[in-house]
Amino acid sequence: MGLPNASGDLSTEVEVDAFRRLFPLRFYEKHLLESIRPDARPLGRARETTIALGAVASANGSALAKIGSTTMLAAIKMEVMTPSLETPDEGCIAIDFHMPPICSPIVRPGRPAEAAPVVAKQLSDTILRHANLNAKSAVCYLIFVWIQSLSSSSPLYLLMIIDVVNWVLKQLVMCNFSSGMINLKELSLVSGKAAWMAYLDIYCLDADGALFDTALLSAVAAFSHLEIPVVSLNDDGKIVLSEEQGLSDREPVNKEKRKINLSSVPFSLTCVLHKKYILADPTAEEESIMDTIVTVVLDSSSQLVSLHKPGGTVLAYTSAIQDCIALTRQRVKELQKILEEAISGMEVD
Amino acid sequence: MAAKPGSAPVTYSPNLGQKTRPPIFKDNDLDWVRPDGRGFHQCRPAFFRTGAVNSASGSAYAELGSTKVIVSVFGPRESKKAMMYSDTGRLNCNVSYTTFATPVRGQGSDHKEFSSMLHKALEGAIMLETFPKTTVDVFALVLESGGSDLPVVISCASLALADAGIMMYDLVAAVSVSCLGKNLVIDPVLEEESYQDGSLMLTCMPSRYEVTQLTFTGEWSTPDINEAMQLCLDACNKLGKVMRTCLKEAASASQE
Repeated sequence: MGLPNASGDLSTEVEVDAFRRLFPLRFYEKHLLESIRPDARPLGRARETTIALGAVASANGSALAKIGSTTMLAAIKMEVMTPSLETPDEGCIAIDFHMPPICSPIVRPGRPAEAAPVVAKQLSDTILRHANLNAKSAVCYLIFVWIQSLSSSSPLYLLMIIDVVNWVLKQLVMCNFSSGMINLKELSLVSGKAAWMAYLDIYCLDADGALFDTALLSAVAAFSHLEIPVVSLNDDGKIVLSEEQGLSDREPVNKEKRKINLSSVPFSLTCVLHKKYILADPTAEEESIMDTIVTVVLDSSSQLVSLHKPGGTVLAYTSAIQDCIALTRQRVKELQKILEEAISGMEVD
Repeated sequence: MAAKPGSAPVTYSPNLGQKTRPPIFKDNDLDWVRPDGRGFHQCRPAFFRTGAVNSASGSAYAELGSTKVIVSVFGPRESKKAMMYSDTGRLNCNVSYTTFATPVRGQGSDHKEFSSMLHKALEGAIMLETFPKTTVDVFALVLESGGSDLPVVISCASLALADAGIMMYDLVAAVSVSCLGKNLVIDPVLEEESYQDGSLMLTCMPSRYEVTQLTFTGEWSTPDINEAMQLCLDACNKLGKVMRTCLKEAASASQE
């Protein structure tokens, strides 16, 4: 793997830069052999991470998260809606992820970035665990079909099937208990009449790799900064801010529910796989050169929330996946600490 | 339950306050103070910082009161294939708002004209002949709208262009003035803008004392126009100095 013309004159900065552009993969492999990355990080180390809470004054909750130079701004605006008939005492969360043209040279106005809908879907799956529901209905349907096709055969089978169905149902009930980091029932105001709709919008201000990790971190931070305004019901049956409408004497609808309880906060780490190497928290350059990525999401008690390996040229062995999970477990501890520090910093102010 | 596609429920903000509040300015009441306690001819403190976005060729962040803007410059890069051959460079501008920029969610898309106004304000200051056949993209995102958004975007954009090393005759500074009854207030906030009788925006190159853009809307008397323009020119001069200091600081920091 020697450099072409590896004599001394290659050491000048211009030539190193040219080599980096012409042979990006070889440039990286040279570094990987030494277990170091061009930005002087060891392979398993994530970039410096910061969180600033309350970055947007016009929102009810907001946060700016930075991992390296990847920057995400998340803000939550609370609005009131009439809950649907099926779930009269549940609120709703609408998650949107935007990549405006300012964030990267490849995004042009009017043409949304390819990565944006992918990250948006992953975010809402992780935050709402909506995927659970889909999987559940699919499983139910399959069982239903199976029973139908077998019901004509011997009664012994039928007994077995009932056992299996019982087991599956038990699993489903367990799934229900671990649903999402936010209990949507907490967003209810007046059962059947009014509930909160939380609009969570995440803007990518600077895209330099690990978009999902940064977006999730900013979303989680925005939720922990969220403060729900005190509201009451006015004479027209609308929900309004208590103080502004001079309804301070009236009993607020949501006296106790000013903060949302976050159960099992998800944190994530994206890794790039290349040959036998695992690079944690890749930059945009690394992501473009080595295209196999694995994103692991763990919650605060180190339980696996989701694992995402969207194809790629490298086929991962179980051990590689396990290494990724181990790296994520370490990273979750770091992120938890950073988030806690940001929150306690706010309380001092 | 996530927001299901196609069945997005109708929502409203509990914050109805704005409409019911009495106008801040009544008749000839000269004792009136501005919402943020400034004098009538006093601008908000301006904060500029270049190099906000790493992946761009140049960028700048500007914050005046609660107005927060980020501008990225890309290029000069290849023009779109469909473009005709051109001896001079092209400038492409786009201004967008975040959904949470305005007090009511999603109102930022009302400002469709800002992109072309930004283009017109900068065009005269840039030496387009220095990058023939190519395009410079100037993209602005208003993170939070707190009034006087367009002037802030324009000033911030010229700083981002300078950061990207695009040749210009001078920095472009922009300031607006609102006419409220008999008073002229400079650098109005959102609340003042909603009650204004007329508004004036002036963008200029302070060192050359040249105006690149001047817009009037609403009711104005001639003496008021003269006074307002003088106010704007003075303010642009001062703003230009602040912007220049920001560039110098960035340059000296990178040398160290």
